[in-house]
Amino acid sequence: MSRYFFYLVFVNMIANVVASVPKILISHREDGAIVSMILSFFSGLVFCYIVTRFFNLFPGQGLPELTRKYLPRWVSFPVLLLIAGSWYIAGLITLVTFSFLLKRFLTPDMPLPWITSTFLLFLTYGILMKSRSVLYTIEFVLLCCLPIIFVITLKAYTTPELRWDFIKEAVMHIYHVPDFSAFSASTYLLLGGFNLIIFNRLFKREQHINWKNMLFIGLAGGASLVTTYFVPIGINGFESIGGIVYPWITTSDALRLEFFVVERVLYIFLLLYLAISFLSVLIHWHVTLELLKSIIWFKRLRWKKRNLTPFLFIGLFWFVSLEIVTYLTEYQLIEYTRYFLNYLLCSFAVMFGLFLFIKRRAEV
Amino acid sequence: MLSRTPENPGDTIKWLSQELKPSFDLVHKPLHMDEKHAELLYIKTVVDGTQLQQLVIKPFFELATDQHVEAYLNSLPNQQDITSKEQMLLEMTKGSVVILIRDHLLLMDIKKVNTDTVQQTSIEPTIQGPQLSLSEDIATNVNLIRQRYHRPSLVIETMELGEKNKQTLAIIYDEEVVLKDVLEQVKRKLKAIKIPIIQSTTELQRLMNDKRRSLMPTMMMTERTDRVVYNLASGKVALLLDGGHSVILAPAIFFDFMTSMDDKYGSYWVTKSLKFLRYSGLFACLTLPGVYVAATSYNPEVFRVELALSIAGSRIGVPYPSFIEVLFMLMVMELLTEASIRLPKAVTGTATTVGGLILGTAATEAALASNIMIIIVAAVAISTFVIPINEMSFAIRVVRYILLAFASLGGLAGLVFGLIGILMYLTQMESFGEPYFKMYWQTKRAETRKIQT
Repeated sequence: MSRYFFYLVFVNMIANVVASVPKILISHREDGAIVSMILSFFSGLVFCYIVTRFFNLFPGQGLPELTRKYLPRWVSFPVLLLIAGSWYIAGLITLVTFSFLLKRFLTPDMPLPWITSTFLLFLTYGILMKSRSVLYTIEFVLLCCLPIIFVITLKAYTTPELRWDFIKEAVMHIYHVPDFSAFSASTYLLLGGFNLIIFNRLFKREQHINWKNMLFIGLAGGASLVTTYFVPIGINGFESIGGIVYPWITTSDALRLEFFVVERVLYIFLLLYLAISFLSVLIHWHVTLELLKSIIWFKRLRWKKRNLTPFLFIGLFWFVSLEIVTYLTEYQLIEYTRYFLNYLLCSFAVMFGLFLFIKRRAEV
Repeated sequence: MLSRTPENPGDTIKWLSQELKPSFDLVHKPLHMDEKHAELLYIKTVVDGTQLQQLVIKPFFELATDQHVEAYLNSLPNQQDITSKEQMLLEMTKGSVVILIRDHLLLMDIKKVNTDTVQQTSIEPTIQGPQLSLSEDIATNVNLIRQRYHRPSLVIETMELGEKNKQTLAIIYDEEVVLKDVLEQVKRKLKAIKIPIIQSTTELQRLMNDKRRSLMPTMMMTERTDRVVYNLASGKVALLLDGGHSVILAPAIFFDFMTSMDDKYGSYWVTKSLKFLRYSGLFACLTLPGVYVAATSYNPEVFRVELALSIAGSRIGVPYPSFIEVLFMLMVMELLTEASIRLPKAVTGTATTVGGLILGTAATEAALASNIMIIIVAAVAISTFVIPINEMSFAIRVVRYILLAFASLGGLAGLVFGLIGILMYLTQMESFGEPYFKMYWQTKRAETRKIQT
């Protein structure tokens, strides 16, 4: 597979920390989080494999092109609209969560709408770019961030603050029936491959995902899943982690770099995740915008030789984000995220049905 | 080869001298000896007198008959084809001589060029590598390039540019490796250029830009022949204008501007370290002013306590917010840089000394800027100069202020957003169809040959 595919997968893996995944997992630490994680690990890999195999059959074509070719319009329109909606909300959750984080930890003096507007300003520029440029941006930012994230993770595993007893205690709760929310939350880590619904347009060369690729994704996914769940527990304690709103932020604040210009890892972590979550929103909303453009396009809406339809969508994005960010509380945000992740998992049934149908029609 | 013009050659001569009449340097010289007759018409200031004497006048008197002289002249390599009266006129202004012999017109190229001295490299000096750059004469320059790149597939096409001054432009490329669509685009853009006067190769760069307002250079200007040859061999197109002391290369991507030719000549680890140094310089000069503003005004808690305190301590007595302090000092620094470029060489030393003194000590003593600010400004200034290609370093100077603005508005978060914003701006740019900012992991062929992603 092209290296750009892995970037799409990785961004989701890393950005999950900001999408309340650890919080949801930890809230189920006494009733089946671990089994759900193991299950979701395999199902996530299977999902990833299916979607990649499907799009490998149609090099250079995204989902909109396929539905246009093989489905009647009255089916494709609502389905694509639904998918666009899901992707928009996935991005929105990251955006809102990170706005809260910034407000709380980095720039407490700035009003929340102002923080979100800064985000939106750059996102607007980003999602209007060509898909190709989006991938290049992702590549470079990840290249800058991944080594530092790796060092921080290593630091977290080796710090004396990490008590293995807590982790052992957490492992002891393995004999529980898996929980659906925990299952869907941890599956989210491995769903990055689904961004192929748009980005497959760029993978024009015929390519095939093989077991080496899957092993690589599996290893990275497994490692990030384990780290996401166990490290906060090991550092904050099995009991007391329950009372923490942002488990990973508090965890990173427990780490110290004694011999560096910046002493508290928290700030490095925040800035890194600012970049990563920006990427996550960028990918999701770029997909949303492209999907919307493929189903709704006003030919007449022109001004100075430029079609204004995308700007219409972006206006909508701005409006909804600013409304939501002022309306939600942190508690509600986590609740709704939980609902959304559950819904997202169910909606993939529709997605796979769609894939199967297209595959039959296309006879490949 | 005889060139017969439909009109009477005598009339053509008359017409040509009519057109050039008022000039003092027009020479119309009949040569007579026994039965031999010839006429010379040329502009003496652009013609090499000694060569004319050697090649044309002396043989005329030595050879026996008219026929001999004509045969001799026709065999000279300097002879040019005649297509029209207008072309003859144009060639004469460039330094050709019109000879009328036995009712035939001949055109001889006997130019005198005073700009063909090869100069020392002044814009991109290197430690190792060739020390001579190009001259300002196109023939000499083509010679310099050909002498460094011995390949039959090297193609040099010429065209004329500028509606009034008709400068010769050479399009140079290696036919075997050149990126075909880039070549097409370059030619198309050159054809579209409508400009009365063109003076230098660098001017082309601006004319060939599609966007009216651009920040980053998408073509590279260079005066180094080794760089030209290296780029030709990797499939780029070089443009060379007569009278220009530099070549422009297309396409050019961001990383090209961060490469010095010394990178080719040093040993592996030395080169890698120097590259690392260069990129850290780039990063430092982009972010340092922003980081200073963010760290003093927004997030003093980010840095370790000792550092935060010493920054705050050195700012005691500074009467305005940090971003004004940074802006003020940076502006003075930019003025100093700009002044030392424009000033005559003799005065530059004074300017830098005075500026350095004022910037260095007086500003802190007057509590107009903190000590740490001075260090940052100095670091920023020095690291800007590390960027090897001048145009890029100018662009980076501008970008720095954009980042400073974002950092002043949003602290560290604003700075990170700003950096990503700049990154996105770079990734969506293109240089003749090639992505401007893209990581190249695989071999160059695999990445550039349109086998995308």
